[in-house]
Amino acid sequence: MAILEARNVTREYRMKAETVNALAEISVEVGRGEFVAILGTSGSGKSTLLNLFGGLDRPTSGEILFDGQSLAPLSSWEMSRYRLRRVGMIFQSFNLIPTMTARENVALALAFAGLSKGERRRQSLELLDRVGLLKRANHLPSELSGGEQQRVSIARAIANEPQVLLADEPTGNLDSSRAAEVMGVLDEMRRRDGKTIVLVTHDHELAGGFATRVIRLKDGRVITI
Amino acid sequence: MKFADIIALAWRNLRQARLRTSLTVIGVVVGVAAIITMVSFGLGLQNNLLRDALARIDLFTSITVMGPGTDALLAMRDQSTDGAANGAGESNGEKSDDGASATPEPTPIPTRMLDDAAIAELKSLSGIRYVLPNLSFSTYVRFEGRTRRAFIGGAPQSIEYNPRFKKFLAGHHFTSDGAREAVVTERFISWVRSKNKPNGNRRRRPGGPFQMAPTRSEEERAREANGILGEEVVLLVPRERDAAPSTVFGIPIIDPSSNENGDSASEFGGQYEERVYRIVGVLKAEDGFDINNFMETDMFIPLDQVKEFRDSNLDPMSRIGELLAGDTGYQNAEVRVIDVTQVERVKEEIKKRGFRTWSFNNQIEEIKRVFLIVNSALALIGGISLLVASFGISNTMIMSIRERTREIGVMKAIGGSDGEIMRIFFVEASLIGLAGGALGVLGGWGIDRMANTLANRWILRQVGQAVRRIEFFSIPWYLSASAILFAIIISLIAAIYPAMRAARVDPIKALRYE
Repeated sequence: MAILEARNVTREYRMKAETVNALAEISVEVGRGEFVAILGTSGSGKSTLLNLFGGLDRPTSGEILFDGQSLAPLSSWEMSRYRLRRVGMIFQSFNLIPTMTARENVALALAFAGLSKGERRRQSLELLDRVGLLKRANHLPSELSGGEQQRVSIARAIANEPQVLLADEPTGNLDSSRAAEVMGVLDEMRRRDGKTIVLVTHDHELAGGFATRVIRLKDGRVITI
Repeated sequence: MKFADIIALAWRNLRQARLRTSLTVIGVVVGVAAIITMVSFGLGLQNNLLRDALARIDLFTSITVMGPGTDALLAMRDQSTDGAANGAGESNGEKSDDGASATPEPTPIPTRMLDDAAIAELKSLSGIRYVLPNLSFSTYVRFEGRTRRAFIGGAPQSIEYNPRFKKFLAGHHFTSDGAREAVVTERFISWVRSKNKPNGNRRRRPGGPFQMAPTRSEEERAREANGILGEEVVLLVPRERDAAPSTVFGIPIIDPSSNENGDSASEFGGQYEERVYRIVGVLKAEDGFDINNFMETDMFIPLDQVKEFRDSNLDPMSRIGELLAGDTGYQNAEVRVIDVTQVERVKEEIKKRGFRTWSFNNQIEEIKRVFLIVNSALALIGGISLLVASFGISNTMIMSIRERTREIGVMKAIGGSDGEIMRIFFVEASLIGLAGGALGVLGGWGIDRMANTLANRWILRQVGQAVRRIEFFSIPWYLSASAILFAIIISLIAAIYPAMRAARVDPIKALRYE
């Protein structure tokens, strides 16, 4: 059974007078343990789909299902708990809080889960160790390289043990060797921990190299599966 | 997220913009300090009046009981001539206590004479410390060769407790009810002293209910008081009641005091009997409000002896009363209640027995109400500056949210709820309110101390000698607590819009790659 599913999802954005269809009646399934790459050019609707999967946005029509359950009836608070526990998001620009150290950034996600201070400290160091950054724990993001920052954001994304990782162009700001490093970490998450990975990218090579399946989007529609 | 973590996050946010936070807090400090200073001044005023000036003479436990007024006496005479004896119980339970007037309640017409039987009855009421019948008259006294008109009060020998006889500057109280002994007040002494000053005796004596502390040192006053102990003072009493026609409302048409060196009562046509009293004590005048000065009493002699004099020296009202009803008993009586909370109950019981009563209690409530209004107005003025500060808080928070939009987006993306985001900002605001409130209370206290010192120094310069230090300000704990609480509440209100705005941040827009 699919862990994530988009059923006839349409997402419209109203911009001044005209309406833009970011997604048009799209149906996509992501199976448990898959590494799915969503490939598309800018404006194809791939990021919109990822935001819908991540619970940051709601479809105009159709529904998103997680583990067979629709997200539609969830309240705003329940949606925040979904983002906290079920999915982990990784962004192109890392989106670390610049005034917090690597460890504090990871610990913030644990704080939202209500863990005690000591527990947060222990777990955040363990998570940084998993992405190979234990030594950089007390550095601010500005003192880390792009690859390191992205690895911190991966540690943050997996902090509350989500089953799904949603990555939006995670290597877009990185050179090829750093990109390979980050992709390696994601792949390891899938192989070792059985996480499901949904990767949004415009890079054919990247998509082909790691993904178990590629979904192509164009103008808000699926082209081939 | 745990509340402690929200506080930690809020604290971290405030520390990141130290200058901005400090400036915002200063706004609150000014507002709270203004409230504290204003209200503490009002409360200080209230304390100085109610607690210090009035409470020193124990006004709140005192009930003045009066016999019938003229109208009642007329009514009583009518009833007795009609042979109707049903008046005694009719006014029972009637309440005319509106609390706003300082005049005796007129409506329940008293039907009882305030005589010895009535005094005994009052004494039998529960919760009474003592009942002091008041009888006084004015007559002429001669002392050291000078004669003047004086006001003389009666007092029983046994005075268990009475603020009027609390402190003696020299000597002691009467040794017995039958002794020819007098206790004089400092008022009397000031008359004696005026002999040595040119024109002194003609000048109006210093007086008024609220006078500054006596301008001479206590040792000097005590020395003077000791000097007249054992001296003799002569009371001149009209020999017979028929002497009355030569007076207008009790005041003789011929003023004997005009003769400064008069040494014999016979100069007044032999109508006066001389009675010699020995001065055994001098009462000490109180600072501030002195009841004896207020009542213009020059000396006291044993009460029973005043009764004898009174027959021949009635005041105009008593004279009318006596004409109408035969006897008016005592002029009034002071009923001292043990516990201030019992005053109303005792008052009601006395009224039921057919007397008129008057006490300060109602007036105290009235004064308190006035002060409540004054203090509220002062708080309102101070509150306006806190209102101004609240706009500063709103502004600061909105700025902070604009700067931290991305951070808010991140928090939402990794699982922060709208409520948690909102709470962070509310806590930020209340921390500003708490800090501003606490520092404002300190600041207000500082201003009060400074102003108080300056004011006392100024008074010292005006009076030119040591006076009791006056506290112009009062900051009770509840004023500090409510000022801080108010600052926090105002800050929270100021944070409502910014916090809602923070909660509504759209994470997709906030996180969009730039």
